[in-house]
Amino acid sequence: MSGNPPTMAGTRSATGDRTIFKSFFYSFTGFMFLFSAYLFLSNLDQLVVTEAAIKTREITSWGEDREVMNMFAGGFWRDAYFWKSLNLTLMVTVITTLIASLVGIPTAYALSRYRIPGKAAIEVLFSSVMVIPASSVGLCLIVMFNYGPFWNLQQQLGFRFAHSIFPGMILASFVLSFALGLSAWKAAFDGVNPRFEHVARSLGSSRWRAFRTVTLPISKSGLVAGVILAWTRAMAEFGAVLFFCGTFRELPPARFSDLEKVLHIDQADFLSVAIWAQIEYGNVEYGFALAFILVIIGGLSVYAMHRIGAKGYIW
Amino acid sequence: MIEIQALNGNLGGFRLQDIDLTVNDGEYMVLLGPTGAGKTVLIEYIVGMYKQDRGAILIDGQDVTPLYTEERNIAYVPQDYALFPNLNVEKNIAYGLEARRLPKEEISRITEETIANLGIGYIRHRMPLNLSGGEKQRVALGRALATGPKVVLLDEPLSALDENLRAIMSHELRALQRKTHATFIHVCHNFEEAAAVADRIAIMNEGRLVQIDTLEAVKANPQNEFVARFLKTQNVFEAVSDGKTIKGNGIVLNKKNPLTGTVIAGIRPEHVRLQSENRIGETNTFAGHIVDIVPKPHFIEYRLDVGMELTAFLIGDVPYGPGDAVCVELPAEHLILTGKN
Repeated sequence: MSGNPPTMAGTRSATGDRTIFKSFFYSFTGFMFLFSAYLFLSNLDQLVVTEAAIKTREITSWGEDREVMNMFAGGFWRDAYFWKSLNLTLMVTVITTLIASLVGIPTAYALSRYRIPGKAAIEVLFSSVMVIPASSVGLCLIVMFNYGPFWNLQQQLGFRFAHSIFPGMILASFVLSFALGLSAWKAAFDGVNPRFEHVARSLGSSRWRAFRTVTLPISKSGLVAGVILAWTRAMAEFGAVLFFCGTFRELPPARFSDLEKVLHIDQADFLSVAIWAQIEYGNVEYGFALAFILVIIGGLSVYAMHRIGAKGYIW
Repeated sequence: MIEIQALNGNLGGFRLQDIDLTVNDGEYMVLLGPTGAGKTVLIEYIVGMYKQDRGAILIDGQDVTPLYTEERNIAYVPQDYALFPNLNVEKNIAYGLEARRLPKEEISRITEETIANLGIGYIRHRMPLNLSGGEKQRVALGRALATGPKVVLLDEPLSALDENLRAIMSHELRALQRKTHATFIHVCHNFEEAAAVADRIAIMNEGRLVQIDTLEAVKANPQNEFVARFLKTQNVFEAVSDGKTIKGNGIVLNKKNPLTGTVIAGIRPEHVRLQSENRIGETNTFAGHIVDIVPKPHFIEYRLDVGMELTAFLIGDVPYGPGDAVCVELPAEHLILTGKN
């Protein structure tokens, strides 16, 4: 027995640490969950529109169907605008996340592994994008694309970025989504000892095989976390999209391209913009309903990606 | 055979300078030097991690410097072993074989053989996270040797092991090298570790190779003060030689030697003799007293004062205590002389 105490003490200590960590983790997440639930539930009444509220409110000039509006949550599910907006949001989010991942993961790898000229400038640029208000990013995009060489180029090519769904809305959500994802992906690659790749290559693997069979599996959790960040940022983007693209609700159908019509996204808005628009025009219950929908979609998608992301490895 | 010819490289301020080294087929070469000497950097150049500024690395006469790491057929075991944490032991060992796209039966056969040779069958399904230091080392070696490389580079392979395991593993390494007939280059900063495995040692300091020879030759004839001190010669002091006598630190030693002028003299502590009878006045024998006695696991360390401080290692009981007057002999045949750097 005399040889055991250190081990036993060590085990007890480790168990104690785990207990403290678990207690803290569950207390914190529990608190956050309850607080969120309180916030939403305490505003549930906002979902139910009453006759009195209708009378005191100046209803939107968009000419909604009063019958529809005079329903629970503004009757959003009967409104084509909602479905088109949902479709648009999911489509833009998926495309943005895909592009951000396809561009961002190799960029993050290059930033993490190679000496690149202007590396510090790239990192500072994208880090600063994360800390400045999204509306400023939108404004910067307008200035960049509505004037100067980019504007001339767009004129020649016959399309425009600003106030367009494709590619404007994707560009606006991409900038912030990419910046956020990039920091996570780079951190994921920074966390993988480059020696693993050197050893893999000394064993006969090509650079690509070493990356695919060693670096990628080891950094998978971090990469998935980056995709989640990119996804959430793309879906929740508001300021940049609103400033750069505006709203599409009132645009005449002729203003939409054939592609947009085929994809059923004419006369629709990004959901985060739609929330703002509905609240702005007095349809508070409709806006709240959209916010709930965004919360549910966001929560489910993040949960799904967490499930896809595997465990990390410690070495 | 590996031939490194006038290799020069600059790595973030650290310079590898004019490295010339030839390692014969089936030879066990140890790169020895203090931390920061450039040993690891040198083997990383051999692996192909960096591009050299000048010089060439030839393996069996072929210049491998234009080749990618994966084309050099060099096995590399880094200091932390770098076992792939996402693969179990068996898959780690099979990794190089799969990279070479060998048939499945062949991969399976070689993996089994390697696992059997290293006696690690009991951990074959474990993940690296759950292995001890010695087990990790065996797996890393197995992974490196499974592909049948001509050259194996080991970067401080024993540094993470405890002293007992280090002794066992150094014997295993030597046995493995003899069995595979591969050329081994082993980096370490421990003299005892090098002595246990090396055919020859190459001593490095500040990005340069200082001396390359067998251990015995380097011990007997260190090229300069750095080598003498690094090989724990101790008892090193500056003196003036006239070819017959060496004067310094208040003592005069007799030894015929080819050096004249300022030299560095030294004697290994195990060669310092304490005489029980008074023989003061005889050649290279001096009166002194014992300053301190430090018992070590396999010998006793005596700190002596003979006008200069000396250290002696003696085995067994010697009937002296601190403060006792003794007669200290520094045998001429064990005196080491080298020119001042």
